[in-house]
Amino acid sequence: MPAVLNQSEHREQSEIGVQLFGQVFVNGVLLGGLYGLMALGMGLVWGVLRIVNLAHGAIIMLGGYTVYYLYTGAGVDIWLALPLTMAIMFCFGYVLQRYLLNLIIRSAMLNTLLITFGLNVVFVYMAQLAFSADYRTINPPFAGNNFEVLGITVPVVQFGAFVIALGLAALLWLVLERSTLGRAIRATAQNLTAARLYGVNPKSIYAVTFGIGTALAGVSGGLFGMVSQVSPYMGVTLTAKSFVVAILGGLDNPLGVILGGLVLGIAEAMTALYLGPTYTDVISFGLLVLILVARPAVLLEKA
Amino acid sequence: MIVRVVLLLLFLALLAAMPWIGSDTVIQFGINTLLLATLAQGWNMIGGFTGYPSFGNSVFYGLGTYGTAIAMSNYGLPFPVGLACGAGLGVVCAVIFGLPILRLRGPYFAIATLGLSAVMAAIVSNLNIAGNNIGLILPLFRGDALFYELALGVLVLATLTVFWLSKSRFGAGLVAIRENEDAAAVMGINATLYKVCALAISAFFSALVGGIHAYWITFIDPSSAFDASLNVKMVIMAVFGGPGTVFGPIVGTFILSAISEVLASSVSTVASLFFGIVIVLAVVFMPKGLVDLVAGFRRSGVRYFIENMRRYRI
Repeated sequence: MPAVLNQSEHREQSEIGVQLFGQVFVNGVLLGGLYGLMALGMGLVWGVLRIVNLAHGAIIMLGGYTVYYLYTGAGVDIWLALPLTMAIMFCFGYVLQRYLLNLIIRSAMLNTLLITFGLNVVFVYMAQLAFSADYRTINPPFAGNNFEVLGITVPVVQFGAFVIALGLAALLWLVLERSTLGRAIRATAQNLTAARLYGVNPKSIYAVTFGIGTALAGVSGGLFGMVSQVSPYMGVTLTAKSFVVAILGGLDNPLGVILGGLVLGIAEAMTALYLGPTYTDVISFGLLVLILVARPAVLLEKA
Repeated sequence: MIVRVVLLLLFLALLAAMPWIGSDTVIQFGINTLLLATLAQGWNMIGGFTGYPSFGNSVFYGLGTYGTAIAMSNYGLPFPVGLACGAGLGVVCAVIFGLPILRLRGPYFAIATLGLSAVMAAIVSNLNIAGNNIGLILPLFRGDALFYELALGVLVLATLTVFWLSKSRFGAGLVAIRENEDAAAVMGINATLYKVCALAISAFFSALVGGIHAYWITFIDPSSAFDASLNVKMVIMAVFGGPGTVFGPIVGTFILSAISEVLASSVSTVASLFFGIVIVLAVVFMPKGLVDLVAGFRRSGVRYFIENMRRYRI
């Protein structure tokens, strides 16, 4: 770089800076939407069942593999593979909650943490045995395409994932606020005894809620496999990130969770731009500890 | 009581004599198992007694590893000094991390420790003094018998510490924090001080294990020093044996290590999978661990498992 810049060079440089900033910002927003979708299931399960699911990231991973094998393996159309994955993962989550987690749902927090920690280990190593440790990418036909808005490149896949995330969050909000099932779920979260008196069966409501959570996690895993890669070990960092996002967004509102995802996505993208990509995870966990330490009382009230 | 103490001492003598009667493979398996048992005992102090489920104790193991290695290979200090540096680093960092993190409770604490263990490897691999991604090589020292006795000594020390916890006012304070932190604070327990002390003691032993392991293996790098699967192992062994008991974590480690060694000889993934299944089943059927199982089984037989399963279900 020359020691002295004349004015036009200077302007050019700052324009490139603005452009780069815009591009990174958009990337962050698009990734953030996906983070939001990942966290939706965790927040829902946490808010209603009072379980912090440490196997959440592993469930996202299983969803990623389901989409991968449906699409790349069995040749199912991608727009069919995603809803199909949601259905499969819903059944999986329903059975898991109904026949295993319901057994310990009333025990101390430590035990629910331990059992989901154990489930995480089981899922990771089963995946390693069944699918091998190779990294897999889901490549839909439109994978390489992108379009340009105001000089900023928007990859179609990332944009699609973002739109799907927003759509599903809105759908979840509608179900929770407007349907009988949603009312039953919210009632169970607020007061289990009162909900029972009104004829809600908590056994099945818990299972359905957990099922919805795993379905959302599953589809987010599929989308993550399109924008990034799927491997048996991808889970732990995603669990922690989902947790951060769920706290940022609050547990009572799906749209808030998406907003929390955007905050994390933008923070990560900016970190990668200004500090270097090795620090993205450090920043997101630094953010986590900072948020937790700074305002635990407020958060505990919400949770 | 006296009979028990005599039996215990006999068992200890048998363990101490192992380097002279066992084969090389047995001794190496022994060193690994004793070190793991110490880690489980360390987790027991913070997770079992204090009730703070740390999923990041491997961080202190890693810090002990690096403290020892840096002192020995960068500054040429002898092993005892290096080990002291490692342990010191572990304790200092436990206080630094503990002060903010131990203010968090339940899941918040669990996730913060999980995050810490994920971040440490990334931080260390950016440090020049720690050899970046490549790691460090320690001076070579051959003497499995010595490492074995050292590992046994540290385990005995850790167990004596836990025994002291189970009898002392300090330990009772930790249990009070586990059962009800607010009530404990009302009773005049300085909860923050107690928790940070518990974590520091736990970190001290984890770091010692790290230091011994580093010198034994003579090579360390970020991914092996901050190996998150160590967390899985120490938590499972403590929980399986009996969290909050004196001998539970040791019994748990001895049994599970032996089984996993047999499984690992075929496929190592199967051994890891086995750990996961054990923890899930243990939480459902025997949440208080093997030690409680022995007592409960004598009382009510197979019904013990069914009682446990029914207790918390909806």
